Amino acid sequence: MKDKKHYILGVFDDDDVVMHAAHDVRHEGVKIHELFSPFPIHGIDDVLGYKRSRLPRAAFMFGALGLTCGLTMMIWMNGFDWPMNVGGKPNAPIPDFVPISFECTVLFSAFGMVGTFLVASNLMPWSKPDILDVRITDDKFVIAIDLDKNKKSKEEIAALLWKTGAKEVNEKEI
Amino acid sequence: MLENNKTYWKGIEELTQTPEFVANAKQEFPDYLPSESENGGHYRRDFLKLMGFGVAAATLAACETPVRKAIPYLNKPEEIDPSMPNYYASTYIDGGDYCSIVVKTREGRPIKIEGNKNSSISQGGLSARVAASVLSLYDKARFTAPQIKGANVSWDELDGKVAEKLKGKIAVVSNTVLSPSLQQCINEFVVKYPGSVHVSYDPNSASGIIEANEKSFGVSALPSYDFSKASVIVSFGADFLGTWLSPIEFNKQYSKTRKLGKSKKEMSRHYQFESLMSLTGANADFRTAIKPSQEGLVISNLYNLIASKSGAATIAVGEVKDIKFLQKAADDLLNAKGKSLVVSGSNDTNVQLVVNAINNLLGNYGVTVNSSIPTFNRKGKDADFKKFVSDLKNGGYNGVIFLNCNPIYDSAFSTELKSALANVDLKVAISDKPNETTAVVDFVAADNHFLESWTDANPKKGCYSLGQPTISPLFKTRQAIDTILKWTGSNATAYDYIKTYWSTNLFPLQSEKSSFQSFWDNTLHNGVFEISSSSTVSYSFDITSVSSIISSTYKSASQDIEYVIYEKVGMGVGSQANNPWLQELPEPISKACWDNYVTVSQKFANEKGLAQGDLVKIDSKTGKSITLPVLIQPGQAQNTIAFAMGYGRTVAGKVGNNVGQNVFPFVNINSTTASFTGSIAAITKTGETREIAQTQTHHTMMSRPIVQESVLKEYIKNPSAGRYEPKIKTTEGIEKKPTDITLWKTESLKTHNYNNHFWGLAIDLNSCTGCSACVISCQAENNVPVVGRQEVLNRREMHWIRIDRYYSSDAQNQEDKSVAGLLDRERENPGENPQVVFQPVMCQHCNNAPCETVCPVLATTHSTEGLNQMTYNRCVGTRYCANNCPYKVRRFNWFSYYTNKKFADVNPTLMDDLGRMVLNPDVTVRARGVMEKCSMCVQRIQAGKLAAKIESRRPVDGEIETACSQSCPTEALVFGDMNDSESRISKLMNDENKERNYFLLEEINVKPSVSYLTKIRNV
Amino acid sequence: MQVSSHVRPPLVTGGKTYHDVTNDISKHVESAPNIRWIAAFTVSFLTLCYGLFCVYRTLWFGIGEWGLNKTVGWAWDITNFVWWVGIGHAGTLISAILLLFRQKWRTSINRAAEAMTIFAVLCAASFILAHMGRPWVGYWPLPLPNTFGSLWVNFNSPLVWDVFAISTYLSVSTVFWYIGLIPDLGTIRDRATNTISKIIYGALSLGWTGGAKDWSRYEAVCLILAGLSTPLVLSVHTIVSMDFATSVIPGWHTTIFPPYFVAGAIFSGFAMVLTLMIVTRAVYKLEDYITLEHIESMNKIIILTGSIVGVAYITEFFIAWYSGVEYESYCFINRATGPYWWAYWSMMTCNVLSPQLFWIKKIRRSIAATFILSIVVNIGMWFERFVIIVSSLHRDYVPSSWAMFYPTYVDVGVYINSFGLFFTLFFLFAKFLPVVNMAEIKAVLKSSSGSQPVHH
Repeated sequence: MKDKKHYILGVFDDDDVVMHAAHDVRHEGVKIHELFSPFPIHGIDDVLGYKRSRLPRAAFMFGALGLTCGLTMMIWMNGFDWPMNVGGKPNAPIPDFVPISFECTVLFSAFGMVGTFLVASNLMPWSKPDILDVRITDDKFVIAIDLDKNKKSKEEIAALLWKTGAKEVNEKEI
Repeated sequence: MLENNKTYWKGIEELTQTPEFVANAKQEFPDYLPSESENGGHYRRDFLKLMGFGVAAATLAACETPVRKAIPYLNKPEEIDPSMPNYYASTYIDGGDYCSIVVKTREGRPIKIEGNKNSSISQGGLSARVAASVLSLYDKARFTAPQIKGANVSWDELDGKVAEKLKGKIAVVSNTVLSPSLQQCINEFVVKYPGSVHVSYDPNSASGIIEANEKSFGVSALPSYDFSKASVIVSFGADFLGTWLSPIEFNKQYSKTRKLGKSKKEMSRHYQFESLMSLTGANADFRTAIKPSQEGLVISNLYNLIASKSGAATIAVGEVKDIKFLQKAADDLLNAKGKSLVVSGSNDTNVQLVVNAINNLLGNYGVTVNSSIPTFNRKGKDADFKKFVSDLKNGGYNGVIFLNCNPIYDSAFSTELKSALANVDLKVAISDKPNETTAVVDFVAADNHFLESWTDANPKKGCYSLGQPTISPLFKTRQAIDTILKWTGSNATAYDYIKTYWSTNLFPLQSEKSSFQSFWDNTLHNGVFEISSSSTVSYSFDITSVSSIISSTYKSASQDIEYVIYEKVGMGVGSQANNPWLQELPEPISKACWDNYVTVSQKFANEKGLAQGDLVKIDSKTGKSITLPVLIQPGQAQNTIAFAMGYGRTVAGKVGNNVGQNVFPFVNINSTTASFTGSIAAITKTGETREIAQTQTHHTMMSRPIVQESVLKEYIKNPSAGRYEPKIKTTEGIEKKPTDITLWKTESLKTHNYNNHFWGLAIDLNSCTGCSACVISCQAENNVPVVGRQEVLNRREMHWIRIDRYYSSDAQNQEDKSVAGLLDRERENPGENPQVVFQPVMCQHCNNAPCETVCPVLATTHSTEGLNQMTYNRCVGTRYCANNCPYKVRRFNWFSYYTNKKFADVNPTLMDDLGRMVLNPDVTVRARGVMEKCSMCVQRIQAGKLAAKIESRRPVDGEIETACSQSCPTEALVFGDMNDSESRISKLMNDENKERNYFLLEEINVKPSVSYLTKIRNV
Repeated sequence: MQVSSHVRPPLVTGGKTYHDVTNDISKHVESAPNIRWIAAFTVSFLTLCYGLFCVYRTLWFGIGEWGLNKTVGWAWDITNFVWWVGIGHAGTLISAILLLFRQKWRTSINRAAEAMTIFAVLCAASFILAHMGRPWVGYWPLPLPNTFGSLWVNFNSPLVWDVFAISTYLSVSTVFWYIGLIPDLGTIRDRATNTISKIIYGALSLGWTGGAKDWSRYEAVCLILAGLSTPLVLSVHTIVSMDFATSVIPGWHTTIFPPYFVAGAIFSGFAMVLTLMIVTRAVYKLEDYITLEHIESMNKIIILTGSIVGVAYITEFFIAWYSGVEYESYCFINRATGPYWWAYWSMMTCNVLSPQLFWIKKIRRSIAATFILSIVVNIGMWFERFVIIVSSLHRDYVPSSWAMFYPTYVDVGVYINSFGLFFTLFFLFAKFLPVVNMAEIKAVLKSSSGSQPVHH
């Protein structure tokens, strides 16, 4: 039984407004828990000070792995484990292995990366998300601020949110 | 299925006598002998039979049907080892057709017939019909017991009933009787019942020749021919390579004169004058289409041309204008006096007299044709038969015994005979299977199949041949000799009777064997007994006397549309009509199967507005009529049509019934002989059509270097004449042979080597006559399914080896490879009288096989001995390999041919348990959805290698033969180890015929193991 | 602060707010199916049933039920396979390549297009299985050891390449499509009123919250998947074309095939997308989301690819003549003038001539014309594959084996079956999942919508 979390939510209805808002709020030294939106807002990462995602690197590593596995599999199976005279060709003709090597690369890279993403963002069929406002996935933009992680008082933060153009300010305990 | 098994198990009670048998077997017979005396033999064969069914069951198991129990030997007969084949020399007889054979049995089941090299007649050769006859042993339609009015009865009952009626004059009617013992036994019968006669006739009669010989030489029999000594051969409608008299023998002889090589640069020259395109005509160097009504005149003219040059009396007949090549033929004949041969297929005595006169004039007698050594392939006399029928009508006989013949179907007297029989007291037929004649008699004495009988044959003076049973009778049947002996009142068995005949008549003729037993054993082992005889006959006939008759019967230019009745290589006279292998065998020329049809020339078709497949009604001037589909046949003489005999059987069995139409009613009986030609009153379209099932529908080579051919003159100048040697310009601008270009530069990556054996086939296109024996032999060896007419129409025939037949187009721009040239439809037109080439094509066993590369599951891979192997149980059936095969030799199992009811009627070899006994246990029956193809008889290779291994030696060249090469009567297919420099194939490919040797589609660099020798014509 | 582009006409019309977007799209998922949907679904389901009967005959009696023979071992089966794979490609191209090129107009069609890809590839896969002589061992081409030990598959065989290409393609596109769905599934979850859909869509949405961090990862993933899918989609049809290009059969053995097949794929794919979108648009009243702009831009791509294909056809002919290889030259002359001339000329008319009509703006912007032409193009593309496969096989090297191919009713039935399968799946998708990517629409709403989102 983890103890409840205490959030103040600034609800906005325009992406540009919420972006400025987020910027101002952070400028005031308030720590933003997370900003929720119905669609990706470009440039929000910098505003919230998020680092660039390392997923591309993961994708590359998985791809490299796929290439190696593919080639090894083919060379071992046809070349060493059970060599056969097929159409008078050498047992492991590399040109014939190009297509499959490529496919393996793509397969591994795609699945590896997506897997990483799902794990990183804890996106699982069984995961129970904290839905702070059901309208987020419709048309509302929400700045969530964790009271416990901020020195500022509830009122100050609320005022700040109103000032930056929030349409509502709600308090939520989860 | 069960009740059939019951039938087979009937020998079982004899099991109890096992110990005696083994005892007998021990003392009585020498080990090296493949066969023993009556008793021993019989018991032995019962064991074989039991084992046989065991394995039959096992074979069925291979067909994914429930496994039935296999019966092990209680006491193993000494020479029978499970899974080891036994070979027995025997004799094939079907009417006048003869072949000395070796029967391959597995666990007591005859499963394949191969040629017997000891015979000077067949010399190891085989014909499609002989090879297929093993299947008719397992024919479900066969009589399983004697019958009275269609009901099975016991032998005692039949014998009793027949004995009651056996009195007065009896007529024994048969086709040619080749067996001297049977002949003697018939004679005894005839003597027993005074006034009785033995009448023999032949559906494909040759009485014209017999009568002519009588007149010219006083010998009332066929002469013997030796084509191998002839350097010029002129044939008038005699299809001696396909069906005439003794085709296997003639193929052997003929091919000897057609082979070429470094050491032999001359070959015979062959002229053919005929109305329809026959197999022989297809092989001729010069072929002229003439009308049947011209034949007599043309031959007489040839006689005159020769006579005038050699100062003999000419025949006073009109001259026939513009018969192409006739003068040339005459000149060639004159230059080849004493080593030429003129033959005619005509059944007209007078014509044959002229032929004899020509041969006599040319001094061919005693060299290429010999009346002092008569042959007996046809003994029937149409006159006798005619007389018999009229006598029968007038109640001349109390009884008739039809001995393995079918006159109700295959004689011109069908209707008269039927009516005449009505008032005959005793009507008996001795026959192994039902036919139109057994249907109209009261008593049927069920005969054995020849593979179940003791028999002997005397096809030629001094040539005797012995036939032994290779399985004891499957049903309650009794062989003809036994039956007739019984009715003659003798209690001897056929075995004793034949043995006695040989000891009294033949044993004395020889000297090297002192005791009869050893003589008998030796003959039984070899299958034949031959002695040279030297007697001479002299020619005495005034040929000028025939002039009036000939000029009255023949016209130089008749306006009539004339028909010719011909015999097909596969179907013959229709006695084996219930044999699906033969029904599905593509006719070598038309490539059609499962039907007969009327062949017409393209020109004729255009005039009459006929198209291929149109059903036409043909009315003869004699008031007969028939409806057949049209087949456009290049080479057919203008204003002539032709249809094949042997079809339209109504009482043959599921397979043969109502396939095509019966044309025997169209046979005319002249004064003394039957005539297989006549004129038609009208040929009219019925408006309906019937598609003809052909395995090849495109007739020209499209001027592609598929069959590479040249002429003798060129060949002598340059042995590689006619060869197409492709060169490819590489990026470096050098011209290279396609085989020198490879992606795998470094040595380690170069193609795989064959260090032990490297099997290959070399096919001499000059020797291949297209006789199709190989096709059936392959089918029998490899359990190839029969698919029936509809599936052939769907282009799904399963034959592993096919014989491609191409007509060389008359189009001028053959060599024109430009786009315009390719657009030219003329290339697809075979022309009116084309040259013909045959090319056997089976899997080429490419060493860079396109099929292997594309198989996703490695179901087809290459062996270390150069074989392209198909792994049936790994195949998933994508058909990619078949698509990627440039030779289109792969065959796909579209259906489950051994369970799908659709094929129950046409495919007994796989569909019914009796037929399945013919299956070769060494070859898997392929499942539905897998690819199959020629394996180069890998099972035979394996067997040969094992045999050699046991004796710890390498296989000797020639000891391993593929089914096709073994059966080939012309040795056109040579199989062997290409790594063995001493093998025939290596010699052929690298020395004797180096320059003629080529690979099909060499330019795509698939490196086949099968190669061909160029076709050379002597023109 | 509204930025409304004056260069391009708006992609979304009718002054929609974010909320309207949510409503318009989600309502189809939430509300009971409308009569048009039921009708359409029933038809396609019945088609599927007939098709399944023919599939049963094939599986029970064998490939012999089809019109194939010893010479023509592939005909409708592989024609349909290639055809479906080709159609599939458009989906990926629209979502991947257009995403890379930041073509915003793709947003409202990519979801349906990707779904189409997946279903089309499924249909294609069904033919791989159906054309096998022994489909019950259809898993043998996978790299598994055989039953007797370690005999593996033949990696030289283009069919094995296919197995890898198709399965990779199918799975990667599915993932791509699903990732794109997650936020919208979240929307539906949050709007869900009854518990069942709450649970189902809750599970399907994988607990999506719409946090900025997730969004940034989400965008990275989509971008890379797009980057991967682009070469993938090209490789797939390249490999499919290698089934033919690596063979020895004249008319198949052609190095031009890879680019030519890919162009053909995009060509037919876009045509199929158009056909479907025009229908969906009508059925679901999505005129505001799928506008004439979309249709016109797609028609432009059809002109381009259609012309590429045309050039390829002509090049083939030139090379056949230029190579001087007799078999090759004859093969192409036979295509145009031989027994299958009608197939060849239908192909030429449908693929090369008909798309040229799109040069005319009126036709390009006419719904009716586009609908008809999009179907014509797909007929043409079917004939292209038929011509390549059958007319090359039926007369190859050795004239003695030349034969004709005639389809049976089972051939036709199995083809019909794939249609049944395709549309059944498509209509199910259209009913239970948002056909348009709401999140992406919202993202481009302001920059490209006709009017400003109304504040309330």
